[in-house]
Amino acid sequence: MGGAWFDYTVNGFVIGNIYALLAVGLALIYGVANLVNFAHGSVYVVGAYVGWAAITYLDTPLPVTLLCVVAVSALVGVGIERIGLRPLHGSSRIAPLLATIGIALVLDQVVQLVFTPDPRAVPMQVPEWRVAVGGGTIGALDLLIAGIGLTSAVVLYGFLRFTKLGWAVRATAQDSDAAQQMGVDVNRVNMAVFAIASALSGVSGVLVGMYYNQISTAMSFEATLKGIVALIIGGLGNVPGAIAGSLILGLTESYGIALFGTSYRNLFAFVLLIAMLVWRPNGLFAARRALPPEPMTGTFIARSRPVVVPRWAVAALVVAAALLPLLGQPYLLQIGANSLMYAMLALSLTLVAGTVGQVSLGHAALLAIGGYASGLLAMDAGWPVALSIPAAGLVTAALGTLLVFPAFRLTGHYVSIATLGIGEIVSLVILNWTGLTRGAIGLGGIPPLEVFGFDLGSVEGTYWLCLAVLVLLALLQLRLLRSHLGRTWRAIRDDPVAARSYGVSGDRYKALAFGFGGFAAGISGAITAHVYSYINHETFGASISILALTMVILGGLGNVAGAVLGATLLIALPEAFRFLAEYRILIYGIVLLLLIRFRPQGLMGTV
Amino acid sequence: MSALLRLEGVNSFYGPVQVHFDLNLDVEAGQIVCLLGGNASGKSTTMKTILGLQRPGSGRVWFDGADITGLPTPQVIRRGIGSVPEARRLFPAMTVRENLLMGAYARSDRAAIATDEERVLGLFPRLRERLGQRAGTMSGGEQQMLAMARALMGRPKLICMDEPTMGLSPLFVDRVLELIQAINREGVTVFMVEQNASLALGIAHYGYVLQTGRIALQGPAGELLRDPRIRDAYLGGAARDGEGEG
Repeated sequence: MGGAWFDYTVNGFVIGNIYALLAVGLALIYGVANLVNFAHGSVYVVGAYVGWAAITYLDTPLPVTLLCVVAVSALVGVGIERIGLRPLHGSSRIAPLLATIGIALVLDQVVQLVFTPDPRAVPMQVPEWRVAVGGGTIGALDLLIAGIGLTSAVVLYGFLRFTKLGWAVRATAQDSDAAQQMGVDVNRVNMAVFAIASALSGVSGVLVGMYYNQISTAMSFEATLKGIVALIIGGLGNVPGAIAGSLILGLTESYGIALFGTSYRNLFAFVLLIAMLVWRPNGLFAARRALPPEPMTGTFIARSRPVVVPRWAVAALVVAAALLPLLGQPYLLQIGANSLMYAMLALSLTLVAGTVGQVSLGHAALLAIGGYASGLLAMDAGWPVALSIPAAGLVTAALGTLLVFPAFRLTGHYVSIATLGIGEIVSLVILNWTGLTRGAIGLGGIPPLEVFGFDLGSVEGTYWLCLAVLVLLALLQLRLLRSHLGRTWRAIRDDPVAARSYGVSGDRYKALAFGFGGFAAGISGAITAHVYSYINHETFGASISILALTMVILGGLGNVAGAVLGATLLIALPEAFRFLAEYRILIYGIVLLLLIRFRPQGLMGTV
Repeated sequence: MSALLRLEGVNSFYGPVQVHFDLNLDVEAGQIVCLLGGNASGKSTTMKTILGLQRPGSGRVWFDGADITGLPTPQVIRRGIGSVPEARRLFPAMTVRENLLMGAYARSDRAAIATDEERVLGLFPRLRERLGQRAGTMSGGEQQMLAMARALMGRPKLICMDEPTMGLSPLFVDRVLELIQAINREGVTVFMVEQNASLALGIAHYGYVLQTGRIALQGPAGELLRDPRIRDAYLGGAARDGEGEG
């Protein structure tokens, strides 16, 4: 028994070291650039594949493998800084964060195109002996990983403490304007930091590949998330804190697996994340428990004058859309219905992210809640679909608001991180709450759409239902935006402090926004579930959250017509260019990057 | 072109708002020159324009005979301009010594940096006692001294100081003013932006008064001190002579 615990400890420590290599880089980058780098896990994947390729094709010995990984990853890091960060100097604070999401999509897809999505085994380059210690065992690879972790920490400390560039890094992190006035070229500092952070991330990737003996392109997102969790535990921008946070996270996960099983592993990580954000948003090691005053209030989104579409044109478009089934093209209608379902989600997100300024990265979780609620009500409680769908909307509104409630006092980057974590938690709870949700098996045989006996399961029926629901939701949202409530939401977004000083309680209005947004997203998820007839915990994953965000930015944050347009374009266009299907995610990433750089207000303008 | 620093027909903008209107200003080598003005008169923007933190819409900035308009800040610093930013802007988590050496970041002559460190610590003996202390833990007056010492470490020809007496106790204000004069006596030209007209003019050779983005008055400091318009606008009238901000 004691031996097993020893092994869990060693395992937790090793994983902690791997996280530390990720989190230290995130902390450095946050320090100098005030940016949570969402492309960090993608560099980790690049590192893993470069290592795999070097060993497989060039038969490199371990030190050379590591050198290759460091060189390529550092180069990728420099590229991220150059493309994603530097041109965005002076734009809104959330812009670079969104740019790193775009870069992540592009990098992941490029790696996938080059190496195919099939998992690969990284050849072991370390002798496979293990020594027995205290009832458990330690292997050569454990020691190697611990050694690399420790060496990196010492080298990094020396760099920051004793070299001129290291001083410039610290000075930039503390006050970048003042550093410039000492003659520090902040661009060069940023570039150096991205290179170092990315090199560490790449090394982490190849070590993980050896440790689990497998790499795949799908590991990037999880790596980013774990790095961020460790970073938050240690405190944003705190380098020693990031190391401690990583070890805590590694051990928590390892013991969690020991006590509850593997499927709970990530649940622990994300619950830890939310707990930290709620109780110690500055990290475990900060004396202050409240967040520092926000430097990121004010111009949160790009200002612009929204494009005005005359009413008759909107009416004409709706009529044209309603007549579309008469063309008798089922395939076209299927795409249309799909666009409409996404448009409902985009409506919801444009309200939350655009109007209220809470950039949610976990919005797909609302779809999951809606889908499961309606599916379970129809299947297990025997409700008619016509009732279960609106009921699912209400359940999602209530549950969604309740889940995000702890994050209400957060702002800016913290909101994005918290919603991302909450989204993952929802999916993991669905996976693990087998009694209610059937766990990994998923919900099969969800009854098709029908309203009081009218079968809407046909393509036309689905399309018309979606169109009707979307028009209703859009009208309702427009009505709300024009009301006193809409003004209050925008006031909270533009200046929460000023809004509070006028007696506006931010929390209550944020709750209203998430409530209404949750309702729309829940309906969308419910309809989707009945159309698909099968859903599981992965149907509504993080990639859908990111896609929805891209739609909303494309249309113009806060813009109702823009949300519908963005959803239609991003769903319909890839269909029109079906021969590009392989490059779909790549295109999404590039669209996101180009938008942030050249048209941050979106096609229809922000509201 | 005898002036060390010259602003020539500068028009600056903050978004759509024009801050400077055809601003012309000379800083002669070896002098202390002050720029006075109330809130929103464009003082800080002048500083940012000189340091390359903000690019003027039109006009030129000359330093030491060269056009430095639009140069990135690090390069402006490397040409011999030191900066004592508004509110000091030290690196709070770095030690006093590290802050000093950051001031010499643009230099690479190690031996000379060491001599300058000694020289600067001679000028600011208070800092010598606190070399290992974190800058953020010192008092406001000590921090102001460190900010000035840090700027000197770059061995500048010109030091730009943005409101060096702001937020200091009266005792420290006098001390800081003495130190500015001491720095100037060592041959460093000083350009300072101040709200406190009487204090600034008391040590300056020449002064400019900025009003809503235009130079309203200029002249030798002694003349400006006696100018009734200055007394009315900045010294709160004759009755409250010498009280400072009006």
